[in-house]
Amino acid sequence: MRAAFFILSFAAALVFTAQANSYYVFIMATLALTAIVGIGLNVLLGLTGQVSFGHVGFYALGAYAVAVLTVAAKWSFWAALPVAALVAGVTGALLALPAVRVRGPYLAMVTIAFGFIVEHVAVEWRGLTGGQNGIMGIPQPSALGFAFGERGVALTAIVFAAAATWAYSVFAKSTFGYAMRAVKDSEVAAESIGLAPVRIKTAAFAISACCAGIAGGLFAPLSGFVTPSTFAFSQSILFVLVVLIGGAGSVAGPLVGATIVVLLPEVLAGLAEYRLLFFGALLLVVLLLAPAGVVGTVSSLFSSRKRPRRAEVEQAPIGPAARAALAVGGLGITFGGVRAAHDISLEAKPGEVTSLIGPNGAGKTTVLNMLSGFYRPAAGSIRIGDTQVQGLPAWRIARTGVARTYQTTQLFGSMTVAENIAIASGSEALLGFVGYAGDLDARAADLPHVDKRLVEIARALARRPSVLLLDEPAAGLSVQDKHKLERLLRRIADAGVAVVLVEHDMSVVMGISDRVVVLDAGLKIAVGTPAEVQQDAAVKKAYLGEGEHLPAAQRGAPGAPLLEVGKLMAGYGAEPVLKGVDLGVREHEMVAVLGANGAGKSTLMRAISGLHRPVEGGIALGGAEISREPAHRVVAHGVVLVPEGRQVFPELSVLDNLALGAFSRKRWNPEEIGAVLERFPKLRARLHQRAGLLSGGEQQMLAIARGLMAKPRLLLLDEPSLGLAPQVINDLFAALDRLRAEAATILLVDQMAGLALALADRAYVIEGGRIVACGTAGEIAGDGALEKAYLAAPAA
Amino acid sequence: MLVTSALITGLALGSMYGLLALGFYITYAVSSTVNFAQGSSMMLGAVFAYTFAVTLGWPFLPAALLALALCALYGMLVELLAVRPFARRGSSAWLMATVALGIIADNTVLFTFGKEPRGFSLAWATGSVQIAGINVSHLQIAIPVVGLSLAAALHLFSRKTRPGKAMLAVVQNPDAARLMGINVPLAISIAYAASTLLAGAAGIMIAPLFNVHSDMGTLFGLKAFAVAILGGITSAWGVMLAGLIFGLTESLITALLGSAYTQILSFALVIVALALMPNGLFGRAEVKKV
Amino acid sequence: MKLLLAAFAFLLGISNANAQTIKIGLVTALSGQSARAGEAITRGLTVAIEEINAKGGVLGRKLELVRRDDEATPAKGVIAARELVFREKVAVLFGGLDTPVSLAIVPIVNQEKVPFMGPWAAGTPITKNGANPNFVFRVSAVDEIVNRAMLQYAQKTFNAKNCGMILVNNPWGESNEKGLLAALGAKGMKPAGIEKFEGNDVDVVPQLTRLKNAGADCLFLVGNVGPSAQVVKSLDRMGWKPPIVSHWGPAGGRFTELAGPSAKDVHFVQTYSFFGKQTPVGQKVLKALMAKYPDIKSPGDVTPAVGVANAYDAMMLTAMAIQNAGSTDGAKIREGYYKIGQYQGLIKTYNKPFTPGNHDAVNENDYVWTQFIDNQILPVGMKK
Repeated sequence: MRAAFFILSFAAALVFTAQANSYYVFIMATLALTAIVGIGLNVLLGLTGQVSFGHVGFYALGAYAVAVLTVAAKWSFWAALPVAALVAGVTGALLALPAVRVRGPYLAMVTIAFGFIVEHVAVEWRGLTGGQNGIMGIPQPSALGFAFGERGVALTAIVFAAAATWAYSVFAKSTFGYAMRAVKDSEVAAESIGLAPVRIKTAAFAISACCAGIAGGLFAPLSGFVTPSTFAFSQSILFVLVVLIGGAGSVAGPLVGATIVVLLPEVLAGLAEYRLLFFGALLLVVLLLAPAGVVGTVSSLFSSRKRPRRAEVEQAPIGPAARAALAVGGLGITFGGVRAAHDISLEAKPGEVTSLIGPNGAGKTTVLNMLSGFYRPAAGSIRIGDTQVQGLPAWRIARTGVARTYQTTQLFGSMTVAENIAIASGSEALLGFVGYAGDLDARAADLPHVDKRLVEIARALARRPSVLLLDEPAAGLSVQDKHKLERLLRRIADAGVAVVLVEHDMSVVMGISDRVVVLDAGLKIAVGTPAEVQQDAAVKKAYLGEGEHLPAAQRGAPGAPLLEVGKLMAGYGAEPVLKGVDLGVREHEMVAVLGANGAGKSTLMRAISGLHRPVEGGIALGGAEISREPAHRVVAHGVVLVPEGRQVFPELSVLDNLALGAFSRKRWNPEEIGAVLERFPKLRARLHQRAGLLSGGEQQMLAIARGLMAKPRLLLLDEPSLGLAPQVINDLFAALDRLRAEAATILLVDQMAGLALALADRAYVIEGGRIVACGTAGEIAGDGALEKAYLAAPAA
Repeated sequence: MLVTSALITGLALGSMYGLLALGFYITYAVSSTVNFAQGSSMMLGAVFAYTFAVTLGWPFLPAALLALALCALYGMLVELLAVRPFARRGSSAWLMATVALGIIADNTVLFTFGKEPRGFSLAWATGSVQIAGINVSHLQIAIPVVGLSLAAALHLFSRKTRPGKAMLAVVQNPDAARLMGINVPLAISIAYAASTLLAGAAGIMIAPLFNVHSDMGTLFGLKAFAVAILGGITSAWGVMLAGLIFGLTESLITALLGSAYTQILSFALVIVALALMPNGLFGRAEVKKV
Repeated sequence: MKLLLAAFAFLLGISNANAQTIKIGLVTALSGQSARAGEAITRGLTVAIEEINAKGGVLGRKLELVRRDDEATPAKGVIAARELVFREKVAVLFGGLDTPVSLAIVPIVNQEKVPFMGPWAAGTPITKNGANPNFVFRVSAVDEIVNRAMLQYAQKTFNAKNCGMILVNNPWGESNEKGLLAALGAKGMKPAGIEKFEGNDVDVVPQLTRLKNAGADCLFLVGNVGPSAQVVKSLDRMGWKPPIVSHWGPAGGRFTELAGPSAKDVHFVQTYSFFGKQTPVGQKVLKALMAKYPDIKSPGDVTPAVGVANAYDAMMLTAMAIQNAGSTDGAKIREGYYKIGQYQGLIKTYNKPFTPGNHDAVNENDYVWTQFIDNQILPVGMKK
């Protein structure tokens, strides 16, 4: 049906052009040529997502190639045209060399520079191009003894446009076309299923350049002359307009876009000189309101409700193509002077689930990134079976049998679920196997969170990997879905895949792992069965902290309720991270919130401080509702967060950092800095140094000092002990203890449960987004609920 | 003598490239977006100043100041219409949207200001002094002086004043800046206003040299963007230095080889530089995360 | 959707079939640095057309002027010319302000057999284009003649012995380079130097310095308003004041405004000036201009005069040609041009202005040398 529409349109165009007035012949020819360039550009921009503001350069190359060959070398047009296409295509591939390494505005600049270079070389290379005069008297093609004339060229152009449209529609549905869309949606995920983005982008450049070259080659005899001024930068912008206004990525888009851009000035008649103004406004409107362009918007209005297709739950081939163990030795990597991982060795055997756990910042995802090839390790070796793969690009590692899922699911959002599997050469039965019960033709970006995870796992299995790496697959899942996930992972392992799992949820980890490797601060600190690891003292220390700090003297009675949080729900997407949290802090109280990673502690702090919006439920400070206030206004209410990871301003001095702490206050006394320095004397020596040069502990002090400068009514501390050496933690403790003694109101979140409980008056335990225990610090310390929450261990 | 003259011209043009590039830097640092049609902002500065100073006959200083104020407003409009709606949803369509707004601005000026270029003569700029045996017009001295002064003023502002440091804070850590009570969306808006103000100032300074017309800024803006990239769009002094080097190089190539090759060489240099250092010459690569 | 639009366009094509008026087309720069010149040509044509229509028109039909902007680029000029020829079906096409644009239009008019009358562009190959039959005519300066006149004027007025050329880098510049070299060669002279500069260059000091170092005592300047203005400003910066003999590029726009006070040092060629004693034709035209255009209050406001004058005479001659042809058929109009005998025109009295061997109606005896004084073009030596 749609094909018939296209055939009819082109037939009508041919008929019209065959008998129209010479003026309209030229218009139709221009339309056809613009459409051809647009179709090529659609491959680059629409399918592969690379912007180019230099395509007039390829158009010029094609035109000049034909001009030079037919005028100076007296070739036949039909011999010159393929050469023109070749010249343009090869140049496109060459331009891709720098272009594929950059993105966004940098890519735009490379293409712009290219366009200008072509224009100016055309001006300067007088011997070849005739300089500013250009080349005149380009002969028109002839075939079978008939001279073509303008009409003939126009008809040829329309035929080429029809051919290009057909070629595009076939290409877009081909594997290569899907590969391009995959690269556009998620380069990372594309690599993880074995696609090589650099090659794909280069091909896109070459194809689009070739199309523009053909169009230019046809332009030369049509116009009869070529001059450099014909190929100005503004033309490139018009080409991009054609694609965007018409609808990037769609088959009819460039045709509609070309029709609008070429015919609109004709229709506007007297107002034709305003056409550029009109195009600019139209582009802006399209971008703001109808980003899918005319075609995309119209077709979404008329999209037929297809009946949903479900996957058959049948036997799916999920065993690895070849069983192979993963062996890692001495792996290490450094970022900006910080050792993110050092001397990591581990083994994952086929048929086993090997889990990688550790507190925040331990380096788990970093290790996974090295295993999958996203990072290149500085030291160490990675072997899949007998093959060494360390340092190879990600797509090569993928092809040796390593598959991966990501913390934030990296599906190809613009494709359907079925297409996501198909591009990885998998069968739809895999979807049934993982338990995906939704529509196979649903758009991946629109799926609920748990379904995205399942589809990602199915896609990872599509290439029959030997090793499957999973990065926090259970995050954001309900308890029921977590159980399903556990069973699924177990089945995958039983089929012979070596499953490597990074996960925070201890019940999941301990429930299905054959082996657990524990990392902390970039080092491996323990390895063994789940039971062994749960009892390991080093592990407990890493997770729970020393517990050696003795609580100081009791404080006075707490005051009136200051912070009241009721039924707080917050989260990303369908499954909220916080599922209805109730807690309260009174004046002069110090309250701790404890729980495993992924339980929702950080989200809670971000929600209270205003960084995370919107939230449902209530957050009140001294009676005033702040749940809708953005962060910079929450500060004005007196709630000050010292964020996780210190977050000092690295290029500003310590003094400037402190001064900024008081930014929210209308008036403040510079002498207060002295008071704060007296609290943290180590900062005085470094007052004028750049904050980024301070050690971790000093930065933490600075962050707290900076928070105090705001004179908070409620001070929130998010993981202050993270990444600090034990001695420094002692200093931290002392500082917090002093605050406590001064009856400051504090809400503290820390992994070091021991530290937190030694300071706090009361504590809450949060698990799975809900408060599961609350009481005085002493009660919580004695209760086994903590160990259970952190390590899923039975009460000691 | 040839070289001296070229150096003086190059210094003037280079400092103007630097101002525009500085505008790119400011918005990129604060929001990871730029007004790709910065050349149009430059043109608007010249056009506004011409309208007030020549058409309406006001004295130069109030005319220039009002022109700059209007440029700043234009910048906030660009951010509101063409950047914020896209940045908010994580889309990179702001690139095309700012281009679209530039086209609209250029063509609106074309039909209101007029289709011919107009000469903008400043009484104080026409005199000249002798330096090293050649005539240097007051304007040619004023341009780099003004340009570098503005850059220095920006530097001082950001390092010594409270709002300036707040902007630096947003550049270095937007979330932490929020926690200080800094209104980050407002900061981004101000950054855009500053960026177009700088471009407008460059336009006003250049107008007597180039003459005022609706597409006086296009090529200039593109070259300034190349400068911003070469300087590493993450470093203020980098872009200013890159601007000066670019202007001087262009001028010297024109003087010694002829102006035709200048464009080819400058743009080829841009491609080569980006091929070798995808983060610009002075910029710093960020650690990728996934 | 494409169907609908194609059909719509088709209907538009048909609808232009009515033929009560004779359409005269004009392709010229209506925007950009030479917009004033385009406007002057328009005015010359308009005044002439109104005069003709007041007397009953041509062949009993009124004349109608249809204009299109070529934006000074050949590509746009060609598109505009096609529209006027094929869609508006003009009987005669006037056009070209920039030589490159005219050169691009020449093949089309010769192919479609539509007379093309040039009121401004001076490039020699425009009328001497080697086509037979040649449909291109011109009432305007011709580069190779202008070049001879430039040399003559430089020698006579400034006693120049060593002339340097400073030319804009485009086909017009190249045409004049050839013409100037030929003119110098005919007198056994060589130029001090030949320097080119780009149309949008701001700083021409390097090129001028080389000419100065070569001992140039006079400059030949060829370039449109903008580039010429930059040459003047660059000379100011150098502090060098050689005599400058220029083609008529500066006449195209607001030269004094763009170039500054030193604009008056540029002597350039024109074909006519409304200053001084006017013939009856001149008085008539001036009166008509002042009546129709409120911004023209004195001869100095007709700037550039050459656009008005050339266009006026060209239109009058064209009307005579159409009358001679007895129809609006292009080939017949062409013959009609050859049949023109005497015509008392604005620039001069024409006597058989066009023959198969000569399509240029104006020669060096008709040139006037002028300067820009305060944004007005005055003959050299005349005080305001």
